[in-house]
Amino acid sequence: MMRKIGIAFRPHNLLNIQNWLLSSRKILEIRTLSAQASSTTEIGSIDTGAPVENGDSKKNLSKAMKAYLDRAREHDEFMNAQRVEFEIGKRHLANMMGENPETFTQADIDNAIEYLFPSGLYQKHARPIMKPPEEVFPQRKAAEFDETGRPYHFLFYTGRSNFYQVLYDVVEHINEMYKFEDSMTRKNLQPDPMLKLNLSGTEWIAKSALEFRVVETVSDREYNTFVTAMDRLSNMPFAYKVKDFIMEYRVSLMNQSETYDAIKPQIREDGRESVTVYECRRKRAIGNVTVISPGTGKITINGQGISYFEGIQEREQILFPLIFSNMQNKVDIEAEMQNGGPSGQAGAIRYGISWALRSFVDQETMESMRLAGLLTFDIRVRERKKPGQAGARRKFTWKKR
Amino acid sequence: MEGAFILNLTLLVFIYATRDKYLCLETATIYESNPNLLPSKMLKIRNVLNFAEKCSTRTRLLSSGAPQIAPAIDEPGPKESVKTEVLKHPDYFSVRDIFTVKDLFDARVHYGHREGSLESRMLPYIYGSRLGHIVFDLDKTAQYLRQALNITAHIAYRDGIVLFFMRQPQNAHLVETCAKECGEFAHTRFWRGGIFTNAEKQFGAVTRLPDLCIFFNTLTTILSQHTAVRDSAKMGIPTIGIVDSNCNPNLITYPVPGNDDSPAAIEFYCRVFKEAILRGKTKRKEHEAL
Repeated sequence: MMRKIGIAFRPHNLLNIQNWLLSSRKILEIRTLSAQASSTTEIGSIDTGAPVENGDSKKNLSKAMKAYLDRAREHDEFMNAQRVEFEIGKRHLANMMGENPETFTQADIDNAIEYLFPSGLYQKHARPIMKPPEEVFPQRKAAEFDETGRPYHFLFYTGRSNFYQVLYDVVEHINEMYKFEDSMTRKNLQPDPMLKLNLSGTEWIAKSALEFRVVETVSDREYNTFVTAMDRLSNMPFAYKVKDFIMEYRVSLMNQSETYDAIKPQIREDGRESVTVYECRRKRAIGNVTVISPGTGKITINGQGISYFEGIQEREQILFPLIFSNMQNKVDIEAEMQNGGPSGQAGAIRYGISWALRSFVDQETMESMRLAGLLTFDIRVRERKKPGQAGARRKFTWKKR
Repeated sequence: MEGAFILNLTLLVFIYATRDKYLCLETATIYESNPNLLPSKMLKIRNVLNFAEKCSTRTRLLSSGAPQIAPAIDEPGPKESVKTEVLKHPDYFSVRDIFTVKDLFDARVHYGHREGSLESRMLPYIYGSRLGHIVFDLDKTAQYLRQALNITAHIAYRDGIVLFFMRQPQNAHLVETCAKECGEFAHTRFWRGGIFTNAEKQFGAVTRLPDLCIFFNTLTTILSQHTAVRDSAKMGIPTIGIVDSNCNPNLITYPVPGNDDSPAAIEFYCRVFKEAILRGKTKRKEHEAL
């Protein structure tokens, strides 16, 4: 038993987990299930892309097609077996966890695996998993040639037909653009500045994403070729005509929805709206910051005004988000701070104010606040003193002789 | 001065060396018009003549020794008797009227490279040089091109796979489009070694290789030959190649001497080869329907 669990801890050891689950359960249940699974897998089996005929027409198949059909059949059989094993494993897991096998979802499986095989491994993908075989085994290309062995794609012999098809399309679009530009110049027309292609906030898809899309490996040099070609196309004056094609290969720089989930303001007894950010931190300082709107710009820190801080720098720190978002006389600030020094406390208040102000400013200001770094938590803390040294980095004075 | 004269003379001799019937006549004329010519110089000319003669025979041997293309598989298609009839006819697809010599001239096929880069194996195909640039003999080019078009049409007729090559980025798209339009294949990118010779590993499975390779230029850079030329020869795949004055035609089954750089010329080659392939395919369809 111990040995088997040990195996199951290896990364991606899906099969072993399933085998272990298999060996520990009744066989009767397996039989009924495998019959069920084989009936369902017919739908999911790989489309071979070519009709499989028996008898006389088999003679007409080329060597290449025969070999492909053999491989496709083997792969189908393998995947079917994997699917059956997965289904059985899932049911056993559900029974072990005392839940209904019929309504046992993938999320439940993940929880169960985490509970049964707790892993201390740092890398998440190295921990034991149990996922449907479609997700574990990589996607394969369907047949790329017909029964006579003639490939479907005209760039097949380059070995990266899908990738080079993209490059071919780019050149096709560029040629179209040239023609269009010429015709517009003849009519004495300029490209519409209102329609100009705006690519800010997005970037070209990464090499891995491109590889996933074309189901082919792409070398660094080929990826650079792709980026150069796309850049050239998107820099053309009439590039907005092929916007759909270009945007297919661009991804937005960050997922903005997470940052923009602003806190919902509370209605206070006096009828004003307030937002409190709890546990604002910076260095050792910690505290709660409340922003009240509408206000007159009154600032209260631990019962005192802005004079709580003696230094100009700390006062500027607190005022900066208010001035930046143009809210300095429109809101009131209340802060309760503990621990830390003046700069830590000022930094924590600054972060709290910025975080709370998101509820009172528009989307555009919020974006510029993000770009100014106001919404980014400052993770810097004091570095510890090291033994054998005077401080974190400083060494003791040492003279050789 | 005398050196320049000898050079001109040598070129003149080259031009006529391959035209057998003029051979004796021209040598005699040279001798008559230059009675001061030393016997040693005459000897030099004769050596050149012999060399040129050898070159032309070698190419003739090479081009006539093309392997018979057997259909890649036992495919259903036109009847055997019809196929033999097609083979027996010297120009079944009438590729002769796809182009004229004037078309070649208009497409600038006669432009070669500079004299300095002349490959000696290309001597039999050149007409002369003008302002330091080689000029091809278009009559010969036409003859070789017709031969090449004929074999292309025959292979297309028998459902062979034709693969086009082109290593100049400037003309690559043109060739790819041409291949797409006639339902054939193109390779205009960096040649990863072993696509033919190690196909099973490269494509991850048994793969049917092309039945004919057409090189619109046979060089990758100005100095090195396309590896696919060598690989096709290794795998017994017949090749058609447009060979410019700086190319080596030895490994090409059907060399076609001509300009391989100008877009106009490439456009012309694309047009004629596409036409030949489409004629072969149309005939195939007609015969299949019978």
